[in-house]
Amino acid sequence: MRERFLIGFDPFVLPFLLGMAFVLTYCIIGLIRVVLQLSKADRRKLAASLFKPANAWKNLRDMFCDCLIHVKLWKRNPKLGYMHSSIAFGWFMLIVFGHIETFIFVPKKAGLFYYPIFFRYFMEMENYSLRGSFFFFIMDFFLLIVLSGILLAMFKRIRSRFFGMRRTTRLSITDRIGLYSLWAIFPLRWIAEGFTAGIAGGSFMTIPINLLLKNFMSNPENITVAWWLYSIALGTFMFALPFSRYMHIPAEILLIPMKNAGLKVYHPRKGFALAQIYTCPSCGVCIDACPMSASRQNLKDTTVYLVRQIKRNNARRMNAMTEKCLMCGKCQEVCQIALQSYDIRMKIRERATYNVGLKYDYLDSYKPEIGKAKVLYYAGCMSSLTPNTGRSIKKLLSAARISWTQMDEGGGVCCGRPLILAGRRQEAAAMIEKNTSIIESSGAQILLVSCAICYRVFKEEYKLKGIRVMHYTEYFNELMEEGRLKVNRGALRYAYHDPCDLGRGCGIYEEPREALSRVGIIAPAEKERALSVCCGGSVGSLTLDHEDRIPITQASVQNMLFSNPDRIVTACPLCMKTFSRYSPVKVVDFAEALCDGLEK
Amino acid sequence: MAKENVVVIGGGPCGIEVARNLRDLGYTPILLEQQSELGGHLRLWDRLFPEGVEARKVLKELTGDLKGVKWFTDVNIESIEKSRKGYTVNVDTGMSFQTKALVVTTGFKLFPAENKQEYGYNIYERVITNADLEQYFHTRKDPRIQNPKTIGFVHCVGSRDEKACNRQCSKVCCATAVKQASEIKELFPDAIVYCFYMDLRLFGRSYEDMYLTAQRKYGVRFIRGRVSEVSEDIDGKLFVKAEDTLLGKPMKMKLDLLVLMTGILPGDSTKQLSEMLKIQTGEDGFFTPRDTILEPCMAKDGGLFMAGTCTGPKTIPETLSEARAAAIQVHKYLSK
Amino acid sequence: MIDFGYTLSKSNTLKIENLDDSRFKALHKLEPDAYKCINCGSCTASCSAGVFTELSLRKILLSLQRGEEKDYINQLQSCMLCGKCMLVCPRGINTRHLILSISKIYNTVDR
Repeated sequence: MRERFLIGFDPFVLPFLLGMAFVLTYCIIGLIRVVLQLSKADRRKLAASLFKPANAWKNLRDMFCDCLIHVKLWKRNPKLGYMHSSIAFGWFMLIVFGHIETFIFVPKKAGLFYYPIFFRYFMEMENYSLRGSFFFFIMDFFLLIVLSGILLAMFKRIRSRFFGMRRTTRLSITDRIGLYSLWAIFPLRWIAEGFTAGIAGGSFMTIPINLLLKNFMSNPENITVAWWLYSIALGTFMFALPFSRYMHIPAEILLIPMKNAGLKVYHPRKGFALAQIYTCPSCGVCIDACPMSASRQNLKDTTVYLVRQIKRNNARRMNAMTEKCLMCGKCQEVCQIALQSYDIRMKIRERATYNVGLKYDYLDSYKPEIGKAKVLYYAGCMSSLTPNTGRSIKKLLSAARISWTQMDEGGGVCCGRPLILAGRRQEAAAMIEKNTSIIESSGAQILLVSCAICYRVFKEEYKLKGIRVMHYTEYFNELMEEGRLKVNRGALRYAYHDPCDLGRGCGIYEEPREALSRVGIIAPAEKERALSVCCGGSVGSLTLDHEDRIPITQASVQNMLFSNPDRIVTACPLCMKTFSRYSPVKVVDFAEALCDGLEK
Repeated sequence: MAKENVVVIGGGPCGIEVARNLRDLGYTPILLEQQSELGGHLRLWDRLFPEGVEARKVLKELTGDLKGVKWFTDVNIESIEKSRKGYTVNVDTGMSFQTKALVVTTGFKLFPAENKQEYGYNIYERVITNADLEQYFHTRKDPRIQNPKTIGFVHCVGSRDEKACNRQCSKVCCATAVKQASEIKELFPDAIVYCFYMDLRLFGRSYEDMYLTAQRKYGVRFIRGRVSEVSEDIDGKLFVKAEDTLLGKPMKMKLDLLVLMTGILPGDSTKQLSEMLKIQTGEDGFFTPRDTILEPCMAKDGGLFMAGTCTGPKTIPETLSEARAAAIQVHKYLSK
Repeated sequence: MIDFGYTLSKSNTLKIENLDDSRFKALHKLEPDAYKCINCGSCTASCSAGVFTELSLRKILLSLQRGEEKDYINQLQSCMLCGKCMLVCPRGINTRHLILSISKIYNTVDR
């Protein structure tokens, strides 16, 4: 191998070079901005985690698995996984081997950005060597891999269902420019390298191209045109990158260490959140996942489009989309980069301003009389509308001979979560404080909660000293395990619905199922556990009205009917009320279902 | 010449009256009823507003004269085939009937009160429905009714309620509530009776008199406010929450008996037949006639007729008038 | 002036024809359910905060519809936004958003 030109430069590299310079400058400025936006504490946290060996190793592993191999996509759909990793990993390997080649054959040119990229143009083959052929083969091999990915990507635009996606994202103009230039890069590279394969050598991909049009190909003028086109495609892609979804390629490298450092979102479009926003690849997996996608009109309000509006800083749309969201957290669960859409939305909601303030000084004089008992039961506001639940809980508690007392008989203080969900976290503090003092002065050891919404806030926001907060699914399952609550197994088939705040919110999936399997047979829903579909009744959504929620509920009920259950079981009064309106089979509360197993 | 068959589906007051009139017009009506007796909901009622006529007497009048009507009880429709000649109705007993004109009188069902869990039907001891109370008026036996001192009637249970999936007014429950409130006061003169209503919709002739009597003679207390929830104490007493919207004050009151005025929903067979015959239904699930004003008894398809509460809530006299109108329409259609 | 022991009090009559409903129109735009209320009182009867205070969403909304903006608006301050009213409303009014929207458009009154 030797260089073809002494100067080692040709004007055609300029588009690439300019693009590369642009992207690098943009990313460095962006990096500095994001880091500066972080609070001092967060910055220190990030720096510390970078140098911790265990964390550093985790960062590297995540970068390899997420950025290059796209492990999560493989798990979701192998075809989708292959498509992404073939392009990302293949391209990465082309760059790596390009650099190795340059290092080996022309070490003095290794410092030039463009040299490894356009290696085949600048080099000439003198004679066959094993080492040379190895590189020819490797480079062609990875080119083939990338090309196969590109082909799949093109096919995906026409038939997304083939990749397990019903809907894909509507692309913006810059996304399109990025997409088409990305598609063009590799076929053009193939052709360009085909042109020079006669001079610089090649392997099974490039040689046949060269042989195909021998005369045309060996014309030096044509050669330059091909390389110009290749470089222009690269340049276009680079210039479009910061304004398109392909920004996720550099941004994810920043996001991974930030995430592993355990940072928290504190502002919807600054610091950690900004890094996440730019890492969103607009893949659109969240569109199908969103329960609101049951109606077409809501598709435009899913997370992927929210991210786009946050990027554009369109406050009106940002607020509207955020207020509509059910806050069920499913998009976060399926998201390839685990974009913390829940936290980001929360921060958007917290920034709304209201003229009518909230005052809870009336709670000061409220001092409920609560008897002494080991278990303190907090029923929650909604429970008076689902009397069967309270009834069944009391039945179960007395069957297990538990000493218990209720904290909010005849109406108590709201747990505060609905207020927090409306972005009024500050105001919710008054309720949290009041309930905390009631609970702590009760002398109980266990706080029993039957509402998934309340349970989540008790877990996340309350600091109850010496008191175990338990959802009734956990508690009754434990009582059964310990043999204190005895039930008989019947033949009824129960489909258990994971309430959003209990499942995705608090990670409780197994206890309710274990408990139910002691009284009957579990009939799985089509999508369950972390992928469970919100019932549509959520207090998370502020603007969805009654009519808008109906299709969401109907779709969710349909999901529950997957294995023809006798009963739909839920562990949240809101899901219970919402489902029972539209379900053809009986909807019962978890405690009610357990009572089926009690001896009558 | 043999008399022509006309199939009537649904053996409630409406179906019976259609059949009787068709017979009088010279046809052989074939009346099909799902239940084991003819009469529909009329069988479950004790007295009818406004005058308090005995429901059994009316039913006896209707069923007493069925000569010339072929009626079958305990039959379910399996399938209906439509051809150019008319309809072939196949039932589960193996029979099948040919008819050029088909009359659907599938009626209504009462809103299942347990669907509104906050009212506690089948959960609390002393919560009953309007149908339960009619039964009690007839039998005077119901363990839930033990000499109540305070009684509440909840209007609009499962009517005018988006959350019960029924936006429509059921039309007859207000009058029924006023009637039942007066009747129960007659039985328990010492009791205090409350009616919780959103709007009192007493639309018919002399219904206002019924209202006036309930106020003046029986002292029924009308409270404009919808009951939002009910709870129960250890003694089985009920606590009802509502707002007295005229006074603008929330109230929580203790009751011995609560009567839920369940509303009118399209019957299950209405849904079944709408699928079988591709009859258009409204958002509320009731059949939509060809023209709600001019042709309320005719479906879009020629030869298909409907009458009674399968096209919306109606009183008994309204139902019977519509039944006669439908019979005339059938006759006109068949004589063409 | 001679004090006769009584003063002329302001007329109690509702001046519905002079109603300035610009704010209510803004509310209606923000929450289209603002006109749907049939005053059944379910929200007030089941209200969690109503156990402690006089909060009546029905009254607040009705007074705003009539342009009597100062009458009940302060009651809204005690709302816990628990959403029970949304669950019981027979008209399917999105009461929580209605409350938040009122809080955006109207002001509390100093007394």
